[in-house]
Amino acid sequence: MTKDLSQPVLKVRDLTVEFATEDGVIRAVDSVSFDVQPNETLGLVGESGCGKTVTGLAMLRLIPMPPGRIASGSIELDGRDLVPLPDRDLEDLRGRALSMIFQEPMTALNPVFTIGNQMTDVLCRHRDLTRRQARPVAAELLAKVGIPEPANRLDDYPHQLSGGMRQRVMIAMALSCNPRLLIADEPTTALDVTTQAQVLEQFRALQAEFRMAVILVTHDLGVVAETCQRALVMYCGSIVESGATAELFSRPRHPYTAGLLASIPRLRSERLPELPVIPGRVPDLLNLPAGCRFADRCPRVQERCRAERPVLTGRDSGVACHYPL
Amino acid sequence: MEILQYALRKLLAGLPLILGVTLVSFALMVYFGPDMTYQLLGKNPTPEQILEVRQQLGYDQPFLQRYLVFLGEIVTFDFGVASTGEPVATLLAKTIPVSLILILPGFILGHVVGLLLALAAAYWRGSWPDKLIMAVAVIGMSVSFLIVIIGFQIVLSSSDGLDLFPVRGWNASSLGNYLSYVTVPTLATMFVALGYDTRFYRSVIVEEMTRDHVRTSRAFGLPESRILLRNILKNCLIPFITRVMFSIPQVAIGGALLIESYFGIPGIGKATYEAIVTGDQPVLKAVVSLTAILFVLVVVLNDILYRVVDPRVTLK
Repeated sequence: MTKDLSQPVLKVRDLTVEFATEDGVIRAVDSVSFDVQPNETLGLVGESGCGKTVTGLAMLRLIPMPPGRIASGSIELDGRDLVPLPDRDLEDLRGRALSMIFQEPMTALNPVFTIGNQMTDVLCRHRDLTRRQARPVAAELLAKVGIPEPANRLDDYPHQLSGGMRQRVMIAMALSCNPRLLIADEPTTALDVTTQAQVLEQFRALQAEFRMAVILVTHDLGVVAETCQRALVMYCGSIVESGATAELFSRPRHPYTAGLLASIPRLRSERLPELPVIPGRVPDLLNLPAGCRFADRCPRVQERCRAERPVLTGRDSGVACHYPL
Repeated sequence: MEILQYALRKLLAGLPLILGVTLVSFALMVYFGPDMTYQLLGKNPTPEQILEVRQQLGYDQPFLQRYLVFLGEIVTFDFGVASTGEPVATLLAKTIPVSLILILPGFILGHVVGLLLALAAAYWRGSWPDKLIMAVAVIGMSVSFLIVIIGFQIVLSSSDGLDLFPVRGWNASSLGNYLSYVTVPTLATMFVALGYDTRFYRSVIVEEMTRDHVRTSRAFGLPESRILLRNILKNCLIPFITRVMFSIPQVAIGGALLIESYFGIPGIGKATYEAIVTGDQPVLKAVVSLTAILFVLVVVLNDILYRVVDPRVTLK
């Protein structure tokens, strides 16, 4: 695969993911479009249930089907659409061109196989290696993600490692075939703050070394500020704002982004009487309002917001709001 | 080596269990079992005769003493003489092998075929192979064992059906004879076991399929068939082993009892049934204590196998 730096690695267009539930069809991701540039880290931000994890899973077609399905849209990796791809061809890409790491380091690894066994599985699947040849490669990868005594760790089972160590193993596995794009779904959420910082630091260094694009799915705006060049803010299955992280954080335009930023607790000299919160609740995905989905919670809501749904003004930098800040 | 120590420790831990089980069953036999005195005596016995017989049977001894004698019988494997005049040990040596070769094919085939069907159902879950297999499994579960036996006898063994196999009886003198006598009982046990086992295996596999590590394997491009046959199956082994192990005592006692009396096969099940009906205490004592020991062995073996298949089980 050629690494053309002028073209986006990933082009997602009008991606819609639906889940059939007993009460009706839920649209978890609603015509989402975005690009990921080579070597870029793109943050996918939003609160629980906004569709960010489903979007991440959809990139590898890992949504459980049924009940889920990709209803429409395209996901182009280096110009090749993954949505209509036969399963066999997709399996070849998973773990090789496209890798994913998950939120739950405790359960994401298979408990009854050793770390080395699971790593060599991936190496032998995608690289032309025998199991014997794959072992030192696996040890090397473990060393790269900062695991001490990597050769000995290969014979350990997942339950013998800490959460942080397991997440490092996952990262090592994800990097083992030099992916073009890595999707990291809340990679540090389950870790304590110190480990989180170490893993993120390692992660940044590795990204520079492996020269890959990353989609970082997270609800943690602090992590986004530290690691992402660009970010997409999702609400109720759609992107409400996109832009360069610095821009987005200093001058949010969508009232939802502004609300999220205001509700981060921080140390400051003046004392706030209370932490600001966004009032109200996320609307029921089965009964979405006709207009803007944030209308009921928005401090700037007007007549037009309830009637007409705003569209995102630009793909790389834009806002879906009739009356942006 | 560590495993061997663990096995020994588990076996030692099983000893009190054996003592407890035999104590309870012995107490039940003494206080609720049939009194043999009047069977051995003629009509209108004198009190002296009664006393004499009770002495012979050991009934006049204190309970604890009798229990110790019973334990001695278990250890020396000498359970006395059955009411037929045959030593119990000889009876066991004659009947247990018959039951083993009768039950084993159905037991093994039932689990193997059940697992294969469950794998197929889980692989195609939700589509027609799954639905077909599960429908047949429900039929297997719903029909009474006796009806199944009679059904197979009519279809395979009677002149109204295919008339391929003998209706009842037993002859294992040659492989041909053995196969002709063992086929119908095996099919009947398999039919019933398959219903339960297939459903059980399928539900365990399908449950395991939803685990995070399965999604991880998919995310790394491992083929679906390999994920199912290796990554998922190894995680299912603990419930599988438990299922197989604990069906051993059940099959050895319940299955053999029913099948042997229905097909007129001279195995341990039939001997037990006859001993219950005639109140043949020496035979009953032997069967009860051996069953208890079998059960304890199964539990110990089960624990050891857990350790073999799951690294998270510690040896402590």
